[in-house]
Amino acid sequence: MRFFLRRLSHALFVLAGVSILTFLFTTLAPGNYFDEMRLNPQIAPESLAALRAQYQLDRPLPIRYASWVNSVLHGEMGFSFAYNSPVAPILFVRARNTLLLTITATLLAWGIALPLGIWSAERFGRLPDRLLSWATAALLVVPDLALALGLLVLAVRTGWFPTGGMTSLDFASLPLGGKLRDLALHMTLPVVALVLSALPLLIRHVRAAVAEVLDAPFMLAAKGHGIPRRTLLYRYALRAAANPLISLFGFSIGALLSGSLLIEVVMSWPGLGPLLLESILSRDLYVVIGGVLLSTLFLVSGNFLADILLYWADPRIRTESGVR
Amino acid sequence: MSAPRTFVKWLVTLGSLHAIVVGAGFFTPYDPIEQDRKNPYFPPMRLHLVDEQGRLHLRPFVYALKLRAGTFDQYEPDTSQSVPVKFFKSGARYRLLGFVPSRIHLFGSEGTRICLLGTDAYGRDQFSRLLYGGQISLLAGILGAGCTLSIGLCVGAAAGYFGGWRDDALMRVAELFLSLPWLYLLFALRAFLPLSVSPLKAFFLIVAVIGAVGWARPARLVRGVVLSAKERDFVRAARGFGASDLYLLRRHVLPETSSILLTQAAILIPQFVLAEMTLSFLGLGVPEPAPSWGNLLSSLQQYSVLVSYWWMYLPALAMVPFFLGYLGLASSLQERLEPYKIERRIPGSLA
Amino acid sequence: MEVKTSFNDSDMPPLLRIDKLVKRYDRRNLSGAREVLFALDGASFAVARGTTLAIVGESGSGKSTLAFCISCLEQPTSGSIWFEGTDIIGLAESDRRQVRPQIQLIFQDPSNSLNPRWSVEEILLEPLALQGKLTREGMKQRAVTLMVQVGLSPGMFGRLPAQLSGGQRQRLAIARALALEPKLLILDEALSALDCSVQAQIANLLMELQRNLGMTYLFITHDLAMAAHLADEIAVMNRGRIVEQGPAQRVLQHPTEEITKNLISAMPSFDSAARPPLES
Repeated sequence: MRFFLRRLSHALFVLAGVSILTFLFTTLAPGNYFDEMRLNPQIAPESLAALRAQYQLDRPLPIRYASWVNSVLHGEMGFSFAYNSPVAPILFVRARNTLLLTITATLLAWGIALPLGIWSAERFGRLPDRLLSWATAALLVVPDLALALGLLVLAVRTGWFPTGGMTSLDFASLPLGGKLRDLALHMTLPVVALVLSALPLLIRHVRAAVAEVLDAPFMLAAKGHGIPRRTLLYRYALRAAANPLISLFGFSIGALLSGSLLIEVVMSWPGLGPLLLESILSRDLYVVIGGVLLSTLFLVSGNFLADILLYWADPRIRTESGVR
Repeated sequence: MSAPRTFVKWLVTLGSLHAIVVGAGFFTPYDPIEQDRKNPYFPPMRLHLVDEQGRLHLRPFVYALKLRAGTFDQYEPDTSQSVPVKFFKSGARYRLLGFVPSRIHLFGSEGTRICLLGTDAYGRDQFSRLLYGGQISLLAGILGAGCTLSIGLCVGAAAGYFGGWRDDALMRVAELFLSLPWLYLLFALRAFLPLSVSPLKAFFLIVAVIGAVGWARPARLVRGVVLSAKERDFVRAARGFGASDLYLLRRHVLPETSSILLTQAAILIPQFVLAEMTLSFLGLGVPEPAPSWGNLLSSLQQYSVLVSYWWMYLPALAMVPFFLGYLGLASSLQERLEPYKIERRIPGSLA
Repeated sequence: MEVKTSFNDSDMPPLLRIDKLVKRYDRRNLSGAREVLFALDGASFAVARGTTLAIVGESGSGKSTLAFCISCLEQPTSGSIWFEGTDIIGLAESDRRQVRPQIQLIFQDPSNSLNPRWSVEEILLEPLALQGKLTREGMKQRAVTLMVQVGLSPGMFGRLPAQLSGGQRQRLAIARALALEPKLLILDEALSALDCSVQAQIANLLMELQRNLGMTYLFITHDLAMAAHLADEIAVMNRGRIVEQGPAQRVLQHPTEEITKNLISAMPSFDSAARPPLES
């Protein structure tokens, strides 16, 4: 229980720290960021005045931060100039879409990488393993951008998949089954792009972690006891490799979130990515901060989940008397 | 192949690739900014040695392009006009390595331009832009990696060596940076800096931003090395002779970090080149008219361009041989410097 | 416990006297709870000039911490360390800089105590360069002298430690420790990592150096048999305390503490009087 509380308070600290960090970045802007906003024709003077009142835009940094935090606690997370509404509702819709993509991609990527990595580790150094290593290397050196664009070309040329967006125009009028099918079709390309970009590194690391464990003396001893291969693999090897694998899981979430930013933009998937880009280009301050923070929230939650998994899987962490 | 020799092989390969990019002025026939609005979106011209009548020419040539009948933007080779390729031709002025003025290009032509990779919407030669763009993208990656590793080295060494609250504080900050998905962090940093600046300023801005994003992971790795190096008895012995902290760091501890820094460099440079490409592609990086592998692709944001003018996709793959080279370099470095790691355990190959 | 050596040359104060030395470590274990560890818990003993005191104890009894505290590598939590009549714990940094060269430490594993990237010459020159008293020529001369003293050939100057044998490495470590002409040499399990025959060689080298240079040795080991061979006095350490100290023969034949008896019973031979001397 203490462990959970520690990790939870740690996560909260990180979120607070990141929000402060992002706010600090606003001081990077040379000159007065808010003068620049005033010059921006997209921002109506009335909203600017209202914002100045509400968020104390020209007060010093700590006060701005405090009023932003206040707004977060009220469920608004600041105000968007471009959309002329509180930031939170805009963010949450997009966040849901990004999560949909990222979670699907994570499950799929691990679902492929884990068995492949284990299979490869069992045949370490032999031909099938080497072939797979070559294949992953080939995939690794292709930039995500090239992958995403290539898939788009595929979509356009074959017409099998829609080339952008999340739903078709007639989505609302479809029956439930049709809705799901439409969503799945739209999701396919982005998910495939994400999975392909994450797969090579995942496979490599799973293979390395499992190979290291398979080589350990205790595995040899277990084999000598005549324990069947399946049990050896799943009850002995995987549990020992759990530590690096779970850390890898935490890392992969970060990588997938980053990857999703680019892929969403390229494939016009209405997630946090395009929103972030748009708000950067239109200098919509609070949306940028909110978007960055939300993505951090996802990453931190993912790591928190990984910590809990690790706690459950690795008894060494559980024992109170473990010495650093 | 033994470990040192594969390392050299990769180094040479990578070096040659970089040399081609560095010598972009020589290897490309035209100025990358030079426009030719009469000839937008030319497809790549193919080199021929045998002409329509089946005659073999000793000098390779291309066919000029003419508009295909019935279309307004589709071109096809005009077999009545063959343009011979001239080697070591004098052409536009450039500076080799930035300071040696020269006019000699590897190849060129009289009259009609040879566009090996086609042209873009402004009629600019894509081949030239590709190589010049490589200069900017690769340099951004290399400088960015240099920045990151310097910061990471300082922070990691300070945290690992001095320990205590400094270690805690620095590692907490590192953790903050690691908790942000890196592309989001990159964007956040870029967001608050001026958006429309000159290409030179933009370049340094991006290098600074990229460098500031990735320091946390190398810092952790350096800290690990420093922590274990600190406990080595030869460091203790030197302290017993009256060595100062600075001396110990400089002569005993930091040399231990060299292997990890090298491997990290080989891993980070391609990632940072990718980061520059991403930023430029989305319009947040190097602005027009300066070419970079990223902004060469930005016209592809409209997929009609992607579909109709396939050669505009090629810069996306320009990175591949370099990435492969860096990957090979990183692997061979690991094999050379950490032969006890399991992945490297091939019988008889320990250096 | 009496803090006196049995060598009561009454006018001669002991070279080194440790008085109730305490070293406490505060750690956090993995689930965040604080843990306190007393590596040294009131250790007291003394060493007479020109003699060898062996400190014997099992792993975890605090022996290495003791070595580090005495050689000024760690700061004790409380207690005093009297070296030549001065308490070196309370010293200012500038004074401590004078004392440090006089107490040198030889570590257990020469492959860890010699920087593998440095050549033999660089390793030997390091203490001299840090001290800064000699010229470049003077340092080189001294290095040659040191090599000869420990039985190594100066022709080895260009080699790396990996190119030396275990025994040669330890000789090099000894040579390096002698560079600053220390009065007290602390040997922290210095023979334990060596092969048996090499142990004998190095042990004899150490005895010879002690005779020639008049040095005092603090010999830390878990090997009671080796202590019996080399030491004038034996002190037994357990859980951060010295529980027994006396002349070597007396401790071996008439131990008073339980732990000493256990250590003795673990030795390969019971009859220390009839034990043949180690042959090299």
